[in-house]
Formats: sequence, structure tokens, C-alpha cells
Amino acid sequence: MRYLVNTFQKRKTLLSLIRRLSSLFLLSVASINLAFADGSVIDKVYHPYVDAMEKELEFRSFFQNLPATNSLPEHVHQLSIGSAWGQSLFGEAKLVGSKTQQNGFQLSAVEFELKWQLTEQGEYSADWGLVFEIEHGMERTPDELSVGLLIEKEFGRWSTTANLFAIQEWGDAIEGEFETAFGLQARYRQSRLFEPALEFYLGQDTVGIGPVLIGATNLGARKSLSWEFGVIAGVSSKSPNSTYRLLLEYEF
Amino acid sequence: MSESAMLSMTKNTGPMLIVLSLLIALSFVTELAKAETLEVELRIRDHLFFPSTLIIPANQKVKIRVINEDPTPEEFESFELNREKVIAAHSQTVIFIGPLEVGEYPFFGEFYPKTAQGVVVAK
Repeated sequence: MRYLVNTFQKRKTLLSLIRRLSSLFLLSVASINLAFADGSVIDKVYHPYVDAMEKELEFRSFFQNLPATNSLPEHVHQLSIGSAWGQSLFGEAKLVGSKTQQNGFQLSAVEFELKWQLTEQGEYSADWGLVFEIEHGMERTPDELSVGLLIEKEFGRWSTTANLFAIQEWGDAIEGEFETAFGLQARYRQSRLFEPALEFYLGQDTVGIGPVLIGATNLGARKSLSWEFGVIAGVSSKSPNSTYRLLLEYEF
Repeated sequence: MSESAMLSMTKNTGPMLIVLSLLIALSFVTELAKAETLEVELRIRDHLFFPSTLIIPANQKVKIRVINEDPTPEEFESFELNREKVIAAHSQTVIFIGPLEVGEYPFFGEFYPKTAQGVVVAK
């Protein structure tokens, strides 16, 4: 009986913490003069899970079709290395390079990311996590600090994931700015090799939606390669006409 | 749609984003389980699962307590159950699955996949 009461109280405390964190996050987003993230917000959709003992190498690429005068990057490439810290934290260090129509390819930022799994997968009606990112921009790229709320819910073979980011930007070339970005993914778990998905992104300069193909294959004990390839169509005048996104991840 | 109309739509999506976020948060707000979740036990010994066939009730959430008796870690993995979790050597963890439709859901140990194999049967 005492075990049951303790378990119940632990759950209540955890749920209360999650609710407070979520409320604080949403209130902070709502109370500050709201702006969407400028530039493209098309990225991967983060899942709120950490696989203990996992290490990974990840490569992401984005190619955007832009009007001739647009100063947004045409290509963005990210290379990162990451490792799990215990059961619920995952840290990742990244190098980001980009190419605009005016400038050639160059290193544009270095970034550190920390993901925190808040709840056990499947224990509650949805799974929760947080991701923190700090980015140091080179030359005219601003510095950036962001926190993202990650929520995932299973409906049979469907998994729906929502990411809501609050972002603070600062730097010599820009005025400090608080922004938000939103990403949504609905994924059908057809097979490990083939999981079709639909993604939606919302930011100041981006409203985009499009299909993504997700898959993975085992390469031996605790070694796997996973991939994501998507085409996100812009549905507002300021969005890139289309963005091709590619992600390759080697887990070991 | 004109450029100004599109720009206006983009600007006016601020309140929409807040409403959308609140709706998502509300719809995903986690509730305490109304009844205690059924718990079953799964042991890992000599890189084998015991029992290798885990029979559980269909349409009900189940908590699997996985106890690793081996001196090496193992990972419970199942695409069909959408779960993967590492269990350190000589330790235990819990994995929540379901509610599942009637059927069979295979799982395996990623560190020793040739021997560590099992199936969840939902009846």
C-alpha cells in the first residue's frame, strides 16, 4: 500500500513538474512580443526520446529554391557528433556551414544541443521532452539560444510529434530578437526501412508543408544507419518555393 | 493571393500559434492512470529472454519490468511495439506498451540478437 501511495505521489510530482514547465514555456512565448523565427525554420522534427549508451554521427543538408535577390542561404549543411549521458540526456556538438547567392560556402555557426527526455515512453497519454540549443554565429550570423518543447503521441501505427521552439537571437549585425518556431510531423510506421511522413513548419519567413521518407537499417550489433529525405513546399510568399532536406545518421 | 494578403496572413498567425500550442498542450496533457497498470516480468539470463513468449491482455496498457541478470548490458528492441531501451548489466527497468490490438509483436535484444528473441502475444 505504501508502495502504491509513493508511486502515486511520484507520478503526481512528475506530472506537476511537466505541467509547470509547459505552462512556463507557453506563457513566456505568449507574454513576450511574439515574432516568428526569421530565416528558414525547416529542420528535422525532434522526438522526445533518448537511447542510453547511444553515440551518433549525423549529417543534415538543406537546399532551398529562393528568388534571385534573397539573402537566405541556398544550401545549409550540418555535421554533428553526439552521445547519451545516462538514461535521459543526449548532448550533441555541431558545425554548420552555408552558402548564399552572394557568398560562397563557409562555416556559419558552431552549436551545442542538449536533449532531455522528461517522461517514460508510453507511460502517460503523451511523451514529453525538452531540447536546449546554444549557437555561436560566425561573421554576420547571429548568436542564438533556444529551448524547444517536444511532444509525441502514438495512435496505433501513427506517431505524431510537435516541436515548439522559443528562440532568442543577438549579435553585432542584428537587434536582439525573440522568436518562435513550430514543427509538426505525422509518421506512419509501415516498416523499419519505410516510414512515410508529412511535416509542417511555421516561422516568420516560412510556412511549409511536405512529404518526408524516413527509414533505418541495422549494420550490426548496436550499429545502424537511419535517413530522412523530404521536400517541403512553401505556402506563403516569403517562404522558399521548395526546400529539400536530407538527414543521415550513423548510430553506434 | 496578393503579396500584402500573404504578408498579413503570416503576421496574423502569431495568435494562431499560441492557440495552436495551447490546444496541443491541452490535448496532450497527461492524465494520471485511472487504474493501476498491469505489470509483468521479463528476465534476461545468458542472453535469452524468460519467458520468450509474453502473454498480455489486448487493449490494455501493460508495464513490463525487465530484469537483466547478465553481467553485460542488453537493449530491448521492437519496431512493432515502437520501443527500444537499454538495460544495464545487473539492473532493471520498466517499459510501457499498449494498449495493443490482438496479435503478435516480436522483440529482440540488440546486443545479442541471435539468441535474445521473444514475442509479446496480445489476447
